[in-house]
Amino acid sequence: MRNSLFAFTLLCASTQAVAETNSYIEAPSLLPLVESGDLPPIEKRLPQYPEVVSLEGEFSPGTHGGELRMLMGKQKDIRQLVIYGYARLVGYTPTLEMKPDLLQSIEIKEGRIFTLKIRKGHKWSDGHPFTSEDFRYYWEDIANDPELSKSGPPSDLLIDGEAPKVEYLDKYTVRYSWSQPNPFFLPALAGPRPLYIYKPAHYLKQFHKRYQSDDRIAELIEEYSSRNWMGVHVNRDRPYKATNPDLPTLQPWMNTTFPPSERFIFKRNPFYHRVDTNGRQLPYIDRVAVNIASSKLVPAKTGADESDLQARYLRMDNYTFLKQASKRGNFDVRLWRTAKGAHIALFPNLNTNDESMRRYLHDVRFRRALSLAINRYEINQVVYFRLVLESNNTVLPECPLFRPEYQKSWIEYDLQHANDLLDELGLTERDDRGVRLLPDGRPLEILIQTAGESTEQTDVLELIHDSWLQAGVKLYSVPSTREVFRNRIFSGDAVMSIWSGLANAMPTANTSPKELAPSSKYQYQWPKWGQYFQTGGKSGEPPTLPEVQELADLNAQWRRATTAEDRTDIWHKMLSIHRDQMYSIGIITGVQHPIVVNKHLHNVPQDGFYDIEPGAYFGVYKPDTFWFDEARR
Amino acid sequence: MSRDEQQAHFVSEAEFNPHSIEALTPEQERYFLASQWTLMWWKLKRHKLAVICGVILALNYGSVLISEIIAPYNLHTRNTDYIYSPPQSVHFFHDGKFVGPFVYGRDYELDMDNLKRLYPERKDDVQPLRFFCSGDPYKFWGLVDADFHLVCPPENGTFFLLGTDRLGRDVFSRITYGARISLTIGLVGIMISFSLGIIIGGLAGYYGGWVDASVQRSIEVIRSFPELPLWMALSAVLPVNWSPILIFFGITVILAMLDWTGLARAVRSKLLALREEDYCTAAELMGAKPQRIIGRHLLPGFMSHLIASATLSIPAMILGETALSFLGLGLRPPVTSWGVLLNEAQNINVVALYPWLMFPVVPVVLIILAFNFFGDGLRDAADPYK
Amino acid sequence: MGVYILRRVLTMIPTLLVISMLVFVIIQLPPGDYLESYIAELQSQGESVDEQKIEFLRSQYGLDKPLYEQYLVWLFGMLQGDFGYSFEYSLPVTEVVGDRLFLTVLISIVTILFTWAIAFPIGVYSATHQYSWGDYGLSFLGFLGLATPNFLLALVMLYLANVYFGTSIGGLMDPEYIDAPWSWDKFLSVLEHLWIPVVVIGTSGTAGMIRRLRANLLDELQKQYVVTGRAKGLSPRKLLMKYPLRVSMNFFIADIGNLLPAIISGAEIVAVVMSLPTTGPILLDALQSQDMYLAGSFLMFLAVLTVVGVLISDILLALLDPRIRLQGDVAK
Repeated sequence: MRNSLFAFTLLCASTQAVAETNSYIEAPSLLPLVESGDLPPIEKRLPQYPEVVSLEGEFSPGTHGGELRMLMGKQKDIRQLVIYGYARLVGYTPTLEMKPDLLQSIEIKEGRIFTLKIRKGHKWSDGHPFTSEDFRYYWEDIANDPELSKSGPPSDLLIDGEAPKVEYLDKYTVRYSWSQPNPFFLPALAGPRPLYIYKPAHYLKQFHKRYQSDDRIAELIEEYSSRNWMGVHVNRDRPYKATNPDLPTLQPWMNTTFPPSERFIFKRNPFYHRVDTNGRQLPYIDRVAVNIASSKLVPAKTGADESDLQARYLRMDNYTFLKQASKRGNFDVRLWRTAKGAHIALFPNLNTNDESMRRYLHDVRFRRALSLAINRYEINQVVYFRLVLESNNTVLPECPLFRPEYQKSWIEYDLQHANDLLDELGLTERDDRGVRLLPDGRPLEILIQTAGESTEQTDVLELIHDSWLQAGVKLYSVPSTREVFRNRIFSGDAVMSIWSGLANAMPTANTSPKELAPSSKYQYQWPKWGQYFQTGGKSGEPPTLPEVQELADLNAQWRRATTAEDRTDIWHKMLSIHRDQMYSIGIITGVQHPIVVNKHLHNVPQDGFYDIEPGAYFGVYKPDTFWFDEARR
Repeated sequence: MSRDEQQAHFVSEAEFNPHSIEALTPEQERYFLASQWTLMWWKLKRHKLAVICGVILALNYGSVLISEIIAPYNLHTRNTDYIYSPPQSVHFFHDGKFVGPFVYGRDYELDMDNLKRLYPERKDDVQPLRFFCSGDPYKFWGLVDADFHLVCPPENGTFFLLGTDRLGRDVFSRITYGARISLTIGLVGIMISFSLGIIIGGLAGYYGGWVDASVQRSIEVIRSFPELPLWMALSAVLPVNWSPILIFFGITVILAMLDWTGLARAVRSKLLALREEDYCTAAELMGAKPQRIIGRHLLPGFMSHLIASATLSIPAMILGETALSFLGLGLRPPVTSWGVLLNEAQNINVVALYPWLMFPVVPVVLIILAFNFFGDGLRDAADPYK
Repeated sequence: MGVYILRRVLTMIPTLLVISMLVFVIIQLPPGDYLESYIAELQSQGESVDEQKIEFLRSQYGLDKPLYEQYLVWLFGMLQGDFGYSFEYSLPVTEVVGDRLFLTVLISIVTILFTWAIAFPIGVYSATHQYSWGDYGLSFLGFLGLATPNFLLALVMLYLANVYFGTSIGGLMDPEYIDAPWSWDKFLSVLEHLWIPVVVIGTSGTAGMIRRLRANLLDELQKQYVVTGRAKGLSPRKLLMKYPLRVSMNFFIADIGNLLPAIISGAEIVAVVMSLPTTGPILLDALQSQDMYLAGSFLMFLAVLTVVGVLISDILLALLDPRIRLQGDVAK
């Protein structure tokens, strides 16, 4: 992915290494099944060319066995295991290169013709072969079924509304082709929530109208107390939610517990396609036990040594407690970095209904003044032990697109400058509290919406409150629930909100820059403009600021750009606009996330990125290669 | 026996009074002539604990009036150099000598390994507390500028009687300010539910018939409803752009709206019984309007009872506020109430590392106990002729 | 009597209908619907949302229909024993709730027994020794449980039990026993965990129980027949046990109306803090995520239990107490 996207082959480099290792090592827990004949021997279960994972340096090849305990807050959180498992058609490595994974290889021509090669002999977790039929089933019987997909195939598969041509060249080869480049295709396949363009046809056909008699369908509807056959099909076919243990999977572990339950056991997939260099089939760990506990109890339970690998529901402020508990317990606490553009950022709502406020919010000087009047150093010291970066909402220093000015512009604490800027805007009148007056006589009071999910945000707001007051701006924080919070922003009732910044602050030039441009209703600084582009102009409003329009144009250009240089260029243009315009006011970034790792669990990196995008949390670090030493096997 | 002798037979000179046998001792007289309220007071006095609790309540409500003066710091004063500082104990003797109330000065260390802030005391640095002094400036009742405090931290020193929280705010001061909201929410709430209960219950009890039936049914409906969803639904209806104070008021109303049913039932059944009394019929015959009969003749008959039972439901309101805060439905920071403080203390970090943040539980328990005992005493006293 | 019962049962019907409407309205009151809160949740964690799937689900779940239609579908479903479908769990409501009923009832019953075991002796003692320091002291203990906010007490007890006894935090058993068949070890593990919620929930109920028992008993003890009995030299113990105590127990029966739903719903807040596998957390979650059929049907279930409970207690009271029976429907 580094050089050019447009004529290259993602080849599995390790394919050759496999051929030499002929003897595979069976997981001891599967031996009885193999001996009794319930499972074929390992040679028959692995694809002809399994994916060979070499473990070097910090990582070492391990041995089979053990049960990994994890805690989740809700039953539906078990989808995290699908994220952690991270077996995708193509997937990212920790250095964010893209490699084929389930696929043996993928060949790309002109960025628009994708030829996918399936591993010969690759099997679903129930032993049924994984072939191009599974791709066909998805494309013809799901994506293009008028009842299952009313509005047609998903948008990542459409370029300017054009659907791909899908061909099934042979049992192991599938080709997707468009007339224009589709830069969204591969990232969608590699996502933490992947685009599933393959489905276990042999299993799902039993629920599909096309393959079953009407009587059978009627029976099914009755059995699953559903409205229609689509309901049954969708309910059975939820690979991401992992709620159906009968659904065959390609993931390292498969759920074996039918919900509802408080404890889900994920067992090893005996047909998993990866092996280590010694020929041991992965995953090393036999079972993953996911215990459901109220999310507020997760830190306490983790501190009581009830989880072997935990990051979810832990927060930086649990670090002291966990560290102290680790002296009694049997675990290490590590700090991983997060990949958000800003851990906390303010979003002026440029689409607010409050007209006089909107006028000021649209003025870049106003936004800059607000940013200059924030004492980020104090926030860092008080809330974060001075461990985080004071930064704008932009890409992280580790990112190839990073430039110091993106991070540093307009973030110094300069009350004088802030006051000058506000004076320049004509906001010179003040009331007896020292709060500036708007031309209509109202005091300059800014209500900041918070979703109230953590006290962290209200704490930061309280700190900002004081320094803003010195610039003559009065801040009120308005807490509400998540849904109300969002609705107020979308409707324009909110003037400003506090949330986290860019979701993926570790992009490469080939990552879509749509987060920087108005592209979705869910962008808190311009929900209506975003909605405009999201719906192709059907709803929302077109942007009225030329710079925002330019961002939208750049975003469109990026899609058509054909070289990495062009894309890098576009990225920098967009980042510069953001640096200059401060459409969101980043506060701090680089907050670390505590990761609790059992002392007997190996191959979990000391340092890493913990975020869903990119990296699928633990996913890119290959949890199937984590192993327990003897004490826990 | 002579006639004289016969005449010597004692005859009272006093005027003949046919009622003399029924005459009362002064005590009895006081007893029977005393108004109902006086009787209640006498009876209440016998319940010693109730009296003590009454005093505690009075003191607490009194302190709410002067929170600014009692609290050594302001509600939002941050001491960012003293984050998560444990409570400072007040000493009187230094090196065996009496020096009056003082605290020791403290250093600050950051344990980078555990990210824990430590505040070792300097045992040689005696910092006497100041009393009746000038400290943090505030606006008394939001009106008058002042800076007078009962206790102030030493010059250039700190005085955190109950420690500080994650922004270095003094817990004791926050509790003092929080009392303003937490204590009044009960009173305001009870006033609302009280009026609702009396009006609705009064109507039902006096009119009977279909009014009574429909009130009865709606009470039944409300009661057969679990509280939680009602809370959640009602707090979801609170308008979007209300200020924190209005929200506070709204929440009070919500708590009250669910609380009136018990009172309404009591009012109704009492009225049903009382309206059959002769004096009520008499009033009716004399042409009194229903409001007058209910308000003037019937209600006073059991007012004392109502007040007692109202007192008993204040604690439920205070606890209700903490529960709402816990569910994220009630008051939220930056508004400070005991419920908010407790909710902030509701995590494992606090329990394991900063237990002093759980201190707001003490005033909550104290107030609720006091209300309960006081209310019990009132109720025992409410039936004076027993 | 038969007429009385029949009348009571008939009035239940409109009451329940009104309740069902209220339940539905209340669930709909918060803004948005299940799918919106689902999207909000996914996005707040940075997960992508498949908008087309959402649209599909919206029509599958019937959320695109007008409200009254959704209500009628739900109502008629319930009449036929179909309690609807939980969006969150992708399962019929009965399966989601049914699983947890047993443990909920277990906790509730143990808690009620615990409450009675404490409240009963205290109540009797403080009624017979009114205004003694023993009365004050014991009532104080009782009220202490009421006054301590449960959610905080729960967390502290969980932590201390873990530090001092090594009990795993939260839940009703060690994780390895969940979904395992019952065994002696599982039973012990349940016992080890059960006492914390029982104590936390139980202590909050004792105060009310003590107060009612005390008040009723005090009323009874001042009645003429007690005085007569005492004058005739009946032993104090017998004097207490024979009638006053029995009569003052009537409120236990009157309490059934509150008890029945309480047994099923458990103490929601404590259950959430302690992460108990009971119905309370499900209900709260369902309300918060607007999983409307799950929340609605469960609330309806509780409401029916309350109404039935009140009916039962009225009938029992009427049977036990001729005075009430003779007055007919003034019983309430």
